[in-house]
Amino acid sequence: MNDADVSKQIQQMVRFIRQEAEEKANEISVSAEEEFNIEKLQLVEAEKKKTRQEYERKERQVEIRKKIEYSMQLNASRIKVLQAQDDVISSMKEAASKELLHVSHHHHLTLTHHDHVYRNLLKDLIIQCLLRLKEPSVLLRCRKDDLHLVEHVLDSAAQEYAEKVNVDPPEIIVDNQVYLPPGPHHHNSHDLYCSGGVVLASRDGKIVCENTLDARLDVVFRKKLPEIRNQLFGQVVA
Amino acid sequence: MDPFKGQGGIQMLLIAEQEAQHIVSNAKDEAEREATEYRSHIEEEYQKSISENTGSSGSNVKRLEEETNAKIKNLKKSTSKVSSEVVDMLLKYVTNIKT
Repeated sequence: MNDADVSKQIQQMVRFIRQEAEEKANEISVSAEEEFNIEKLQLVEAEKKKTRQEYERKERQVEIRKKIEYSMQLNASRIKVLQAQDDVISSMKEAASKELLHVSHHHHLTLTHHDHVYRNLLKDLIIQCLLRLKEPSVLLRCRKDDLHLVEHVLDSAAQEYAEKVNVDPPEIIVDNQVYLPPGPHHHNSHDLYCSGGVVLASRDGKIVCENTLDARLDVVFRKKLPEIRNQLFGQVVA
Repeated sequence: MDPFKGQGGIQMLLIAEQEAQHIVSNAKDEAEREATEYRSHIEEEYQKSISENTGSSGSNVKRLEEETNAKIKNLKKSTSKVSSEVVDMLLKYVTNIKT
């Protein structure tokens, strides 16, 4: 084998090695590219998943907050309607309270039909108190304005009571020192007032029968509240 | 013959290895950039939906308020018809004395 052949063979080997090296370098490059893509994809997907979860949580929180807010607004709305109902009911009591003044309003100089009605009402109120107290001697308080009407019916009330329960007529002492407060006036509506009626008590003051028109209205109002509600709002859905 | 001439292939392989390492290490930076892009896109969508929701919840509040006021108006209207009956009933019980 001469030098030329040897040189040729060496050249061939060099080319082969170079080609092998190029192929290997190519493989490394392709493999790196693949590894890059896989690595990048994994990192991106992991990060995207984390981001999605975070924003899903945020959106759930927003939804919950929205529901809570709406629920609170709905509640406030219901309370507003209930408050309006309460206001209507209170206005009924106020209107009735004002009407009571017409019941007890009377003229001092002349006795009208109205006065006869109120006078009879006072008599019945006294009898009812006597029936509750069942005392032989009682103390009576009334408004100063009503004093003459009360004195007018006192004996007949005691007599009627005595006949009803078959006892001697009781002694009724009218308190001339302390009177029930007068009817309400617009300028001092927060003061104590009494729309009419009487208060009777046993002599020792241990048993008291409050039979003023205002006290009776309070009792009736409390007792009839469900009925009033039904009458007012039976047809209205809150 | 130059004894270093044959080292070109080895050099080529070394360079290829270095480039490969560089490419792979770039994956993290690329991924971060893409993830950041994705995040800002999602954030944008989220803010958009929040502003839409705020608008709709505002109109819900307004609607609820209108409904409530209508209910109260209705309530007052319907109760005014029977109010005198209620007052009369109360007065009847106050002034009717059972003895």
